[in-house]
Amino acid sequence: MNLASTFIVATLISATNAVDVARADVVVVMNAQSGVERLSADDVTNIFLGRYRRLPSGANAIAIDQPTESGLKAEFYRQLVNKDLAEINSYWARLYFSGKTSPPNQAATQSEVLNLLARTPGGVAYMERKQVDARFKIVLDFSP
Amino acid sequence: MTCADLLIRLLAWVLLTTPLVSSGEEGAALSFPGVSLKGFGTIGVARSDDDGVQFVRDLTQPDGIGSGWSMKTDSVLGLQLNASFTTQTEAVIQAMSRYRYDGSFTPELSWAFLRHDFSPAFTTRLGRMGTEFYMLSDSRLVGYSNLMARPPPDYYGQLVISYFDGFDVTATTKLESAPWLGLLSGKFYAGYAAERTPFEDNLFWEMKGSLLLGAYVDVLSGPWQVRLSHARLRLKNEQPFDKLMGIDIIGLAPELSVVDKWARFDSLGVVYDNGQLQIQSMLSRINQESHAFEDSRAAYFIAAYRLQQSTPYLGYSWVKSTASRPDPQRPRIISEIMTQLHSDQHTTSLGIRWDFATNLDVKAQVDFIRGAPQSIFPFRGKAGRWDGHMNVFSLTLDFVF
Repeated sequence: MNLASTFIVATLISATNAVDVARADVVVVMNAQSGVERLSADDVTNIFLGRYRRLPSGANAIAIDQPTESGLKAEFYRQLVNKDLAEINSYWARLYFSGKTSPPNQAATQSEVLNLLARTPGGVAYMERKQVDARFKIVLDFSP
Repeated sequence: MTCADLLIRLLAWVLLTTPLVSSGEEGAALSFPGVSLKGFGTIGVARSDDDGVQFVRDLTQPDGIGSGWSMKTDSVLGLQLNASFTTQTEAVIQAMSRYRYDGSFTPELSWAFLRHDFSPAFTTRLGRMGTEFYMLSDSRLVGYSNLMARPPPDYYGQLVISYFDGFDVTATTKLESAPWLGLLSGKFYAGYAAERTPFEDNLFWEMKGSLLLGAYVDVLSGPWQVRLSHARLRLKNEQPFDKLMGIDIIGLAPELSVVDKWARFDSLGVVYDNGQLQIQSMLSRINQESHAFEDSRAAYFIAAYRLQQSTPYLGYSWVKSTASRPDPQRPRIISEIMTQLHSDQHTTSLGIRWDFATNLDVKAQVDFIRGAPQSIFPFRGKAGRWDGHMNVFSLTLDFVF
């Protein structure tokens, strides 16, 4: 049956595309000039899921997503809300097509994330710990 | 030209004259203005095992399916254009094609509004937008955003209004004094219905001009979301009984008049969404000022657990309406009309959602509908040999692009 063979092919494709990024050490960062010292996991969830994009300082929060190919994005949402990207996409389909909030700003490359964050005081992003330089400040660390 | 028409033309002009920004450029992600075109859709096939009545997704469909496979129940295609003028102001236009009141797939303008976020805590929208009678009811046609093949018809099936022309305001706050409460938000909306709903024999009931008012209070805390909603609709037009039967039914039975009568919708929704586990439960009550419809109660419960790309789910829903007392004085024709308005059934659903590729899913679902033979209102078609039992088989492919 056609449908069955489509299912099988799709499963094989997604299995071979799976990238093991479970060990990536992801931290949530903001611009060093932001005036924000730390965010709770709830704050970060509210900002990235578009529920409430306001920083503790009262300023607007601007969420920035890593490119999907980096694997960081999948790891971030797994750590934050234990959801895979299909669920996050489905969540955004609901909000987007009911005319509510838009998803985070989607960067095209990892270096674009760094550039955007460096010039956006209200920006909130995530990256590997080793990418954090003097321009940035870690506001939430998932590792105990 | 009505206000809504004017607004739609204005939006269309603004969108057409806004320059298109390529999002591939370095740094373009935060620049404005920007225009994006996205879409959603479902290709669905479904059949039942009973030709006694026709199964419909909701009462906006003039006829439904029987024991032959059909694509009309769940298939839908939507296109949406978003134009941001600043970080705070956005225009949204959505057109959608689905099986509608006149038995066609003629596209409709389902959304056309301007949204302005005064702050992260306060948002308003003006124009044509989806109705939120119940939680999730404004995204019930976006298959990819939903767990089940279709929202439970026992619960959502009586909603014949998908959009309205008016405004809404939403306020959100984080209570620092009570952090366990999470986010507290409230919304108020008001406007006029703009759609038609099918009646019988290719006749339709005009909902346009009916006043709609609604509000909700919502609490979002960790994995929990609880929402209490109220909406009310004051009907502008009578159902076309006179055209259907050739006699003045409303004159004969004034209790069937609906004009200027309120229909009130109350609901309580609870969602628990924690990692792989998702649970949704909702209760609703519809009170009708007119005797042309019965008051009803409905509820549903869904539990789902994700296992990698697959999410099996189990659902249970029921609907029951209060039958009007038999009145020997009432003309027989009126009594017959009133027997068409009863709901008394429950449905058990079993299904699986498979997210097999980015922005694509496939769902397979079986519904076991069990009810009284008098439970005719949730269906279409003249009830033949109908014993209240029906099983429905569905397969859908949902996508966003």
